[in-house]
Amino acid sequence: MQTQGLRRNPEMTLAQKALQVNWGLVFVVSVLAAVGCVMLYSAANGSYDPWASRQAVRFGGGLVLMVGVALVDIRMWFRWTWFIYFGALALLVAVEVMGTIGMGAQRWIDLKVIQLQPSEVMKVAIVLALARYFHGVSEEDIGRPTRLIPPLLAIAAPVGLVLNQPDLGTALMLMMVAGAIFFAAGVRLWKFAVILGVAGAAIPVAWQFLHDYQKQRVLTFLNPESDPLGSGYHIMQSKIALGAGGMFGKGFLQGSQSHLNFLPEKQTDFIFTMMAEEFGMLGGLALLGLYAIVLIYGFAISLRARNHFGRLLALGLTANMFLYVFINIAMVMGLIPVVGVPLPLISYGGTAMLTVMTSLGLTMAVYVHRDVRIPRRGLDDAD
Amino acid sequence: MTEQVRACRPCQPQDIDRRAAARRRFLCMDGHRKEALETGRTRLLVAGVVFAFVFAVIGLRILDLAALSGAPSHVAARHPDGAPHAAQRADIVDRNGNILATTLPVPSLYANPREVAHPKDAAERLSRVLPDVSPGELAARLSSDRAFIWLKRGLSPRQQYRVNRLGIPGLYFREEERRFYPQGDLTAHVVGFTDIDNKGLAGIEQSFDEVLAGQHRSLRLSLDLRVQHILTEELSKAMAEFRAIGAAGVVMDARTGELVAMASLPSFNPANPGAADSEARFNRATLGLYEMGSVFKIFTTASVLESGAVRIGDRFDVSKPIRAARFTIRDYKPKDGKLTVPEIFMYSSNIGTVHMAMEAGTEVQQNTLAALGLTTPASVELPEVGTPMLPSPWREINTMTISYGHGLAVNPVQLTSAVAATVNGGVLHQPTLLTRDEAEAEASGKRVFSASTSGRMRQLMRLTVEYGTGGKADAEGYLVGGKTGTADKLRGGRYARDARIASFVGAFPMDDPRYVVFAMVDEPKGHKGTFGFATGGWVAAPVVREVISRAGPLLGVEPRDNVVVPEKEEHPLLVKVGAVKKDVRVAAR
Repeated sequence: MQTQGLRRNPEMTLAQKALQVNWGLVFVVSVLAAVGCVMLYSAANGSYDPWASRQAVRFGGGLVLMVGVALVDIRMWFRWTWFIYFGALALLVAVEVMGTIGMGAQRWIDLKVIQLQPSEVMKVAIVLALARYFHGVSEEDIGRPTRLIPPLLAIAAPVGLVLNQPDLGTALMLMMVAGAIFFAAGVRLWKFAVILGVAGAAIPVAWQFLHDYQKQRVLTFLNPESDPLGSGYHIMQSKIALGAGGMFGKGFLQGSQSHLNFLPEKQTDFIFTMMAEEFGMLGGLALLGLYAIVLIYGFAISLRARNHFGRLLALGLTANMFLYVFINIAMVMGLIPVVGVPLPLISYGGTAMLTVMTSLGLTMAVYVHRDVRIPRRGLDDAD
Repeated sequence: MTEQVRACRPCQPQDIDRRAAARRRFLCMDGHRKEALETGRTRLLVAGVVFAFVFAVIGLRILDLAALSGAPSHVAARHPDGAPHAAQRADIVDRNGNILATTLPVPSLYANPREVAHPKDAAERLSRVLPDVSPGELAARLSSDRAFIWLKRGLSPRQQYRVNRLGIPGLYFREEERRFYPQGDLTAHVVGFTDIDNKGLAGIEQSFDEVLAGQHRSLRLSLDLRVQHILTEELSKAMAEFRAIGAAGVVMDARTGELVAMASLPSFNPANPGAADSEARFNRATLGLYEMGSVFKIFTTASVLESGAVRIGDRFDVSKPIRAARFTIRDYKPKDGKLTVPEIFMYSSNIGTVHMAMEAGTEVQQNTLAALGLTTPASVELPEVGTPMLPSPWREINTMTISYGHGLAVNPVQLTSAVAATVNGGVLHQPTLLTRDEAEAEASGKRVFSASTSGRMRQLMRLTVEYGTGGKADAEGYLVGGKTGTADKLRGGRYARDARIASFVGAFPMDDPRYVVFAMVDEPKGHKGTFGFATGGWVAAPVVREVISRAGPLLGVEPRDNVVVPEKEEHPLLVKVGAVKKDVRVAAR
């Protein structure tokens, strides 16, 4: 059956594929990364060191990675899905074990060159896994509740591990992305209601089993104002900075909130605030516009894909990107509680850059191979 | 083909001829595919619409924060030609009219690089006059091709004179306004500071930003600069003596809630807040939340007396530690047998206080603390106000620990106003940094305790200074009453033995309290002079004594010979006091 598949989807040469890469998207992404470097330059009070230069190098590497990922045949990714998913899961278990042996909470694996955060890798892996699973489930089978058990387990395992780190923000993000894929896959709406209902009912029960300190953590997360010396104060300063920027901003390197060190983590989580202070409302909206273009690309690719796997993959990755942007910006504006989520391509950070570039690469891979047919039963067991 | 058939298994027909069957399979599969595709597409579009909607909300929020709340004056300041200058920002003065913040015109130097003939040469000469700007940077700015570029903002008159004497063409001055703080770090935490465009970033400068920008009349605060100075000086002395990491103090008018002085140490220079570290910029008096320790026994005792659950003559056994949950509650200096309420208070017995609190119950405690404003953020006019940390859920064990001031953290200002409410006849006035006369205070005050409970508490607090743990706060002639507090600090979820908060809250004169004084020293270390002790009685009480004896005359409170209220020779309630033979000079009214 392999040959038939090939006949229907004649193999493209590498050059043909390269022509198919969304160079427009690559351009927008590069503009975003350039904005990021400019802001990191400003965050260091007008210096390439220590952030802007390293971020630029990372983006260079990321760009190569992105295009590389885009050129790999989508069927390869399809085949490697479970390997990637279980690999990420194993890494999560590994940090858990290392965290227990070492000291306190650990979310990192030190690869010497780069510190890898398995929960970030999982954000991509879960999308791949769910896309592959739902690709293999027919429209009728989705209606069967039993068919939803394996994907729910596939979500529950990493979410449980991440919650245990503890990193409620990432856990919620994983669940929301999964929800988006479930939705796009055609799971009936009432089932969402049931799951939400069951989860809601389970919370009081689970609450009883938590330790006091765990309860405290959850409460602090839900109500950061109760920790006024931390988050509440920073959000206040962040809002002042946003207001201070006004329409056109204070000008590059002129943001007093940021340069007086009122903003915490201005090179990572609060970088949007600094951007809005220095370039004003128009700067902030322009950045939002750039992200909107990236998301629209993702959607268009998802709509255009002719295989279910690709469609769900592109949608899941786009939802991921959307959540990054939304959670970060809504947080610095005080719309939602403080969660440590970076602004993709702008915030300083290695793993996030890696994850975002891989996601974008996969999205492009879906576009490059948009007409490839992938049999419902998968590739290897197709007779 | 096989795979397509498989995909369509549920609609396999049974007994039609093969070709028709195949066609039908194909059609039916086509239908399914189409339907799936349709659902998929609809759902994708729905998801897209949701995302777009959320993005629109974020965009509107940016608009709201940046455009609608942002001050347009910045834009004016950035375009030197044209736009007239905004009105001069109003002064901030203390209650006696001393200037705390003012605005002065200063020249700022800018250039039109197109008119500068020899940028390198000009930069070199300029850098001799403006040594804090590097010649390289000046040269770069002067060789840009823009028509306007700042060289240095806020020059001194002498610098302006020298720049003029250089006679370089293409350099211009523009008159700008700049905020000056004549009191420097003395009032930095209250007054706050502005950015270079005179927009308030902290303290009163921020919370009254629009008022200050829009009026010429000075903004008068309730602070008294003289008292502020005394408080700051005494706190710094204690900090140095006990090698503490910080200190905070409050002086409040007990009848109105006006803050006459409020200090947080270390402080910073508001002219250059960027140079200060965040520790110095942190206002311990309003933003800092602390478990206040035994000082809280004031509220516990007042609440149980007010509720009627405990009477002043009741006795409680303090000989055995209390075991509850995984805690054991002990006394700092254990005593034998049964103590009366005044004894429990003046010896600061945790065990006795817990017994009393349990008589009245959790609800009484919660209601009293809420009525005293200790469970909600203080309403003081500063942006830097901490939200109290409360136990949740509030169980019996929490009631026990809170009764002696652990497990609930509040800021010094709200603590002081709650103490004021306890001693001033029982009426709570919200703390304020603006002036408030007694008529206004009367209208806005809220009764928490009856006058008789308040009178009792005045007696008990006076007893504590006279015979109990607060002896070092006794400023002669001022009938000081108060309560000590020593609380171990939480470090990573555990109480540290070597890091504590030593505090004292006192009021004077105790027959009709005019002012409440609170002093707190963060992580004091004992020394030889205190026999190694670093408790509230040793560290903070002397601060309060010094502040009262120095500030009392300035505030118009006359020192008197001790008013002796003759009572029975043996005070009936002080069973265990050795001093009972003396007159008990409890001021009572």
